[in-house]
Amino acid sequence: MEVSKNRFKTLSEPVKQFGGLVGIIILIFLTFFVLNNIFGEGDELVAKMKIEEERIAEERKLNKLISSLPSGVLVSFDGTDNFKLSDELYEAVCKATKLIPQRAIMGANFLNFRAHEIYTINGNKIDETFVKWDDEKNKCFAGFVVSGNNVGVDETVKVSGEALSFLSTGIDTRVYFIKNF
Amino acid sequence: MKKLIFFILFSSLITSIALARSTGCKEGNCENGYGKWVYTDKTTYEGEWVATKKHGQGTETWPNGYIYKGEFKESQWSGIGILFFPDGSTYEGEWANGFMNGEGTFTWSDGKQKKGIWKNGSLQE
Repeated sequence: MEVSKNRFKTLSEPVKQFGGLVGIIILIFLTFFVLNNIFGEGDELVAKMKIEEERIAEERKLNKLISSLPSGVLVSFDGTDNFKLSDELYEAVCKATKLIPQRAIMGANFLNFRAHEIYTINGNKIDETFVKWDDEKNKCFAGFVVSGNNVGVDETVKVSGEALSFLSTGIDTRVYFIKNF
Repeated sequence: MKKLIFFILFSSLITSIALARSTGCKEGNCENGYGKWVYTDKTTYEGEWVATKKHGQGTETWPNGYIYKGEFKESQWSGIGILFFPDGSTYEGEWANGFMNGEGTFTWSDGKQKKGIWKNGSLQE
């Protein structure tokens, strides 16, 4: 121990300073390593940030697409004067769409009397709406969930079908026709 | 600031007037007689009216492509009528309380048909 002390004393000043600097750097790295292990999320946080960045990029792409669409009714089938969506656009519009207006819900309810009854009893209240692209079937599905007390019985009804037309407002797109028959 | 508030109020007034002018009874007599009514969501009804209710023969057109042509009772689809779905499918037959009720034929856009007795929108097997 005494020998080591003497050897340290014999070292030149620049070597001592360099050694001190290296020591401080190691200490800083160790401190951050310990803190990161205690409080940080590490790889998990990086993965989350990447997902969020991808989501924002995708949203920007979809917004650009929506603003390029003509305003009015967009359909995925032939036989109308409305703007016909290509397969690629149909998928993109489906993924960009979140809203389902009242008339589309009322139209779907023609084939689901129970849903219509709960919808009417609850003052046209909808619990949940969804618009999803099905990769396997290559189709867009949309629907809604209504729940409430119907003649003393608590009921929940889910109505879903193929979303075949959309309304483009220039700001957003909305499901305009759910084919549930 | 005053100018901004005035501008907002003025814009709201103009919008309300424009909306009021584009909705309501646009043609004819929508109380007793024949008239055309336009709703705020652009749904239109053109046909017979009795005591301010859709009653008799008429056509209701929804903005998303549903068109009902036929009989109305107390503002509801009741009697004989045909509903055109936005994709070209149709239901032709009897209606009651706004639903397919009675004898009728549902024709899909590809030509496939189902005929029978319907109860509240469902075919009775």
